[in-house]
Amino acid sequence: MSNLREYFQTNWAAMTLHDWIGMILTVGTFLAMVWLYTYVFNPKNKERLESQRNIPFDEKNTDSEKEK
Amino acid sequence: MEETKYDFDVVRWFSIMAVVYLVVGTLVGTFIASQLAWPFLNFDIAELTFGRLRPLHTNAVIFAFGGCTLFATAFYSVQRTGSTSLWSPKMAWFTFWGWNLIIVAAVITLPLGITQSKEYAELEWPIDLAIAVVWLSFGLNFIMTVAKRKTSHIYVSNWFFMGMFVMITYLHVVNSLAIPVSLFKSYSIFSGVQDAMIQWWWGHNAVGFYLTAGFLGIMYYFVPKQANRPVFSYRLSVLHFWALMFGYVWLGAHHLQYTALPDWTGSIGAAVSLAMIIPSWGGAINGMMTLSGAWDKLREDYILRFMIMSLAFYAMSTFEGPVMSAKSVNALSHYTDWTVGHVHSGALGWVAMVSAGALYHMVEKLWGTKMYSATLVNVHFWTSTIGTVIYITAMWVSGIMQGLMWRDYDEFGTLTYTFAESVAAMHPYYAMRAIGGMIFWLGGAIMLYNVIMTIRQASAQRSSTAAAATA
Repeated sequence: MSNLREYFQTNWAAMTLHDWIGMILTVGTFLAMVWLYTYVFNPKNKERLESQRNIPFDEKNTDSEKEK
Repeated sequence: MEETKYDFDVVRWFSIMAVVYLVVGTLVGTFIASQLAWPFLNFDIAELTFGRLRPLHTNAVIFAFGGCTLFATAFYSVQRTGSTSLWSPKMAWFTFWGWNLIIVAAVITLPLGITQSKEYAELEWPIDLAIAVVWLSFGLNFIMTVAKRKTSHIYVSNWFFMGMFVMITYLHVVNSLAIPVSLFKSYSIFSGVQDAMIQWWWGHNAVGFYLTAGFLGIMYYFVPKQANRPVFSYRLSVLHFWALMFGYVWLGAHHLQYTALPDWTGSIGAAVSLAMIIPSWGGAINGMMTLSGAWDKLREDYILRFMIMSLAFYAMSTFEGPVMSAKSVNALSHYTDWTVGHVHSGALGWVAMVSAGALYHMVEKLWGTKMYSATLVNVHFWTSTIGTVIYITAMWVSGIMQGLMWRDYDEFGTLTYTFAESVAAMHPYYAMRAIGGMIFWLGGAIMLYNVIMTIRQASAQRSSTAAAATA
């Protein structure tokens, strides 16, 4: 346990503005990805998301290439 | 039924130029590969030496061929997925002429030795400014076309194109920051290890956002369309997009293992590289599984073959890259031809082959006819596949041999081989690589011939139809 504490020890007082910005962005991105995985794999959202896969086939003139 | 009107003229021209640049860019590549095997081909002419022509090759295949392919496919699919025309056709033509003039500028300046010496960003500052303007014209037009779409949802391929646009704008501007000292000379505002870090932050993300995200946009539209089946999993495509966008920006430092860069940055680069296998393979599987239940299509649809084979190469190179970024493997692979082989398994196997598939698909649709010769499409497929495999196999063997020779010591702690001996040992593999490149180039030339004949065939069909109508 002490080894772990030693491994993760941080000198917070030495953190610069760049360090804080980097840390906040990194942790924020990590949390956003966790939320994304939860949202995408939530069974309630399956139908709504999967219905979008038909968009390339929904256009009005799929086979004819009409132009202006 | 009201029919949607599209602006496809500019798409046609981007498609034609993409095929032309594929032939020209790979011809230069084959020539410089031959120079490495047979140095007399430098002819003692400075403008023809490997050092001058190598950036011309990379710029031609990445920005001329890749750029025209991206613009063609993006402008084509954004209209069709949004059931709308382009926001500004005139601006699209500005992008077309601007981009081609930039390519002309590259063809003139790079052989003359006018360069910033930054890999994949060699062009001097006036051309960099032009790239920014033309690139912004593409991005603005694309985003505004998305904004005027008639569908409620923005299809995933458009997300990938927009992600590419945002990130490449940011990367190009920061990496190109320089102080001009004359019209043709500038110096980067970064120096030392910061310059190296910015260089590879750009370098790897040019791969990640331009050659990967942009071409994944192509994959997500053209694979389902050619297979005539919706993408296997839309949910997976959403994860693929966001994981790619958040993940790729961290990888650049893995190009600088064992250098003056702080060790932890290389460790982060390697760790995130390994993590990126998950979304990359998710995307590759998503594309391949789109054919689930219809694999028989691959027997007869040669265009689809290009796309599915490209996904196999995508999966392979996105596994190989992270493995090479790990420090223990990097200690052997770095500075060797293994890296060159890895790049080309992605560039030839993934980028060029998915592009060929998409371009063939568009040529048929844009000119309203079938390809002049399906057999030649098949010949192109096999020359591309065999050429790529010969190329990357030669570089794997050569690279690993190089790495092992450089680190070999005798019992007295002295290097077993001189550097010159390692160069001599690579000769057969350099010859083999040149042959692989020639085979790949031949496929591109066949494609150009087939495309020209298809366009002529379409024109003849239109003329005969018009004649019959007036008769």
